[in-house]
Amino acid sequence: MSSFIDYTVNGLVIGNIYALLAVGLALIFGVSNLINFAHGSVYTIGAYVGWAAITFLHTPLPITMAIVFIASALVGMLIERVGLRPLQGSARIAPLLATIGISFVLDQVVQLVFSPNPRALPNDLPDWRIDIGGGSIGALDLLIAGVGVGSAAMLFVFLRFTKLGYAVRATAQDREAALQMGVNVNAVNSAVFAIASALGGLSGLLVGMYYNHIDPAMSFQATLKGIVAQVIGGVGNVPGAIVGSLMLGLIESYGIALLGTTYRNLFAFALLILFLHFLPNGLFGGRSVLQSEPLAGAFIAPSKPIRLPRWALWALTGAAFALPLVIGAPYLLQTLTNAWLAAMLALSLTLMAGTAGQISFGHAGLLAIGAYASALLAVDLGAPAYLTVPAAGLITSALGTLLIFPAFRLRGHYIAIATLAIGEVVSLVILNWESLTRGAMGITSIPPLSIFGHEIYAIREVYWLCLAIVVGLALLQTRLLASHFGRTLRAIRDDDVAARSYGIGLERYKALAFAFGGFGAGVSGAITAHLYSYINHQTFDSQVSLLALTMVILGGMGNVVGAVIGAIVLVGLPEIFRVTAEYRILIYGIVLLLLIRFRPQGLMGTV
Amino acid sequence: MSATFNRRFTSWLNRAAVLIAVGVGASAVVAQTSGEPVTIGVSGPLTGQNAQYGAQWKKGFDLALEEVNQKGVKGRPLQYVFEDSQADPRQSVAIAQKFVSDPKIVVEVGDFSSTASMAASSIYQRAGLVQFGFTNSHPNFTKGGDYMWSNSVSQADEQPRLAKYAADLGFKRVAVLFLNTDWGRSSQAIFTESAKNLGVEVVASEGYQPDEKDFRSTLVRVRDAKPDAIILISYYADGALITRQTRSVGLTQSIVASGSIYSPKFIELAGDAGNGVFTESNFFPNDPRPEVQSFVTKFKAKYNEEPDDFNAVAYDTIILLADVIDKYGDDRTAIRDGLAQKKNVPSVIYGKASFDTQTRRVAGARAVYLVVKNGQFVLWDGKKPTAS
Repeated sequence: MSSFIDYTVNGLVIGNIYALLAVGLALIFGVSNLINFAHGSVYTIGAYVGWAAITFLHTPLPITMAIVFIASALVGMLIERVGLRPLQGSARIAPLLATIGISFVLDQVVQLVFSPNPRALPNDLPDWRIDIGGGSIGALDLLIAGVGVGSAAMLFVFLRFTKLGYAVRATAQDREAALQMGVNVNAVNSAVFAIASALGGLSGLLVGMYYNHIDPAMSFQATLKGIVAQVIGGVGNVPGAIVGSLMLGLIESYGIALLGTTYRNLFAFALLILFLHFLPNGLFGGRSVLQSEPLAGAFIAPSKPIRLPRWALWALTGAAFALPLVIGAPYLLQTLTNAWLAAMLALSLTLMAGTAGQISFGHAGLLAIGAYASALLAVDLGAPAYLTVPAAGLITSALGTLLIFPAFRLRGHYIAIATLAIGEVVSLVILNWESLTRGAMGITSIPPLSIFGHEIYAIREVYWLCLAIVVGLALLQTRLLASHFGRTLRAIRDDDVAARSYGIGLERYKALAFAFGGFGAGVSGAITAHLYSYINHQTFDSQVSLLALTMVILGGMGNVVGAVIGAIVLVGLPEIFRVTAEYRILIYGIVLLLLIRFRPQGLMGTV
Repeated sequence: MSATFNRRFTSWLNRAAVLIAVGVGASAVVAQTSGEPVTIGVSGPLTGQNAQYGAQWKKGFDLALEEVNQKGVKGRPLQYVFEDSQADPRQSVAIAQKFVSDPKIVVEVGDFSSTASMAASSIYQRAGLVQFGFTNSHPNFTKGGDYMWSNSVSQADEQPRLAKYAADLGFKRVAVLFLNTDWGRSSQAIFTESAKNLGVEVVASEGYQPDEKDFRSTLVRVRDAKPDAIILISYYADGALITRQTRSVGLTQSIVASGSIYSPKFIELAGDAGNGVFTESNFFPNDPRPEVQSFVTKFKAKYNEEPDDFNAVAYDTIILLADVIDKYGDDRTAIRDGLAQKKNVPSVIYGKASFDTQTRRVAGARAVYLVVKNGQFVLWDGKKPTAS
């Protein structure tokens, strides 16, 4: 029984920390309708600014907090002004991607300035503790709770009773109407980013002090947990974010109590999926939240796609096939093979996200299913690769569709968050299901690809095989898109209400799209497993999902040729920037931002 | 016009080439050496989640190169090319193709994670280029083929020693917290096995994810199992987090941690809570052995900081490879054969390193029992902790 109290207290303590993050995310979502992936980066910057102030200026805590507050607010305003404001009027997917690009850039800058080593962040609070149950809480826990609740209360008052608060709420409700009523919408957005980022930076400082540990890689996990917490509370709802955070902390803590530490995140993401399924508006969101998602195609930029003439496409394909005969450099061929494998994934995602409008943040989960299916069939049953790879495609297609099925009634951001959670769940299940997947040890000695006894490991042959699969999938997908199936999917994407009133079974068509896309992703994962000969649960992490989505958006949503080009560009760019060593991901992030800024509909345009 | 442009462009190219060469690692060409440099290819993380480890490798490599290039290898300067893989298998396989097809690369070092290293193994094996994985403790790494070698301390050596230390300290019931990666998982299995043989009962075993920061609830589970000590199979950053939280949730049990936490950073991050933590280490700066003392003195002089375990293995690796190349030449196959023949290379970690030609690993890492006192790692004085 006393343990139960301890688990509860500990859940509240960690929930307290999530709350600091979730409040800022909720505020930005509420006003800009945007999941701010750069929030975690501001949190990291706040922690490092605090570290610098303490180390070089020896500031006491209140002054440090003030410095961090102001510095982070400025960073927030900068993000809004430079990164997001120019994207106004472009599709809503553009700012979402921009925040991902910004977070790359900011994290890299922090890492270059402060070195990647973790640092200690001491605090000068009195060292007294209150005993609760078997454990205790300290001054810092109370300060964190105070800042969390205090900032939520202040925000509440600000939104409810001040002039700027009215403006913020008006902008959140209807940007155009607010603009017509003379609200300076840009100033409102800027203020919102300043406030939210100031809170984010402050939470970085406090959490860094709490753990006495800061490092430049801390941002992604922070963003992820903040997003989960605010969905539970009801997206865009500030008091909801706090309650959602505490609930998330409690569930994680009870999860650990029940099954053990490795199950913690599994509980967190399962909770998220349950909420999305049964209570997508969260604990506190009204019905209105879901309704305000765009009805007609606004999530994806409409544009006139660039159509390459058919002979040019065939010529390019021919050239790609002939390349290994002319240039034998294995490094180039390997890089392009990686691009073909990525292209299979991008083709699958562009169908789901672009054509059917179901943005997926968890596509790496499909790769993982395909890779494990093929590897386990080959290693445990000794099946030959020419059978296991297509089988893995079918298994991924079935399992993937089954996993995503409950999320079909969601839209826009919600489906993005749901797929993010599903991707994480797949990876966590692989980690914990040791009897099948060998857990953290991964699967070793996966045999190389083979066709009827002929082993394919010369890089040229692998290249041709992967290219042939990409071309095959691309042709099939082009054919599908030109049929009534493609038209139906686009109708669902552009206006699902209208589509339904024409008698289209939405879920059936979405399921068909996922089944087809799942096959391609599964094959890509399976081939990767045979090429690497070793995989574990980290081989296909959430970074891969983000990369896949970037490829699709870069190429142009729903655009088959665009997906392939996006894959070549995004696999190729980091290799080209290799000479810049530590700076390479920074440059990559900047190039990405410029592309989003100047070509939000993608290189080849949306189909 | 175009001539000017050409000239400008060429000079820009030259400048860029110089920059790259400098970036390419120390290019410490000392007067005594001459001729075409001998190049080691390094695949490892310089950006991304594990960038800190790549940065630590570099310090060890650069220090070792300065030493090696006093006379060079067969009179030629030794250098390395560091390709950033982010410890990502997609990038490490591309790097592997780059290295194997570049005749200048005579041996490859890295990658950091098992996923990145073992994905590239088959490429190195088929091309006949030694892949020297100095942080690869995954038991299957060197089984990838006869070109996979590792001087990473084998957990089969390490964990029984940790169990012995716990037994020597007089503990009977221990709770194990381990990093849930291939390294942590295999370590935990070996530890549990050896603890059982020594009559130490493992009463709880908790795996945690590398990016986990909060351990309070985990520690309640640990407390409820009523251990008399907590075993950490951790790296220094997560080890420090757990140590601090152990104290703040009111647990007073002793902590015995695997040698991988050994780093000055552990003390910095754990703060006062670090005092009293027991650990054993293959590398201890106050170890009087001359290899250790010369390494520590030079490291402090160059970087003005205390070296840690990762710095030491990186340094050891370059010294070892330089020794092999110096004796057996820079042919790729000769280097593989040389690794099998070379005996008793001076080493910070092993004292004298020789490979077991069957496992292609080095056995018999040195180790000392340590305890943290007043914010310092000191040798254990043999006193058992008073009952907690």
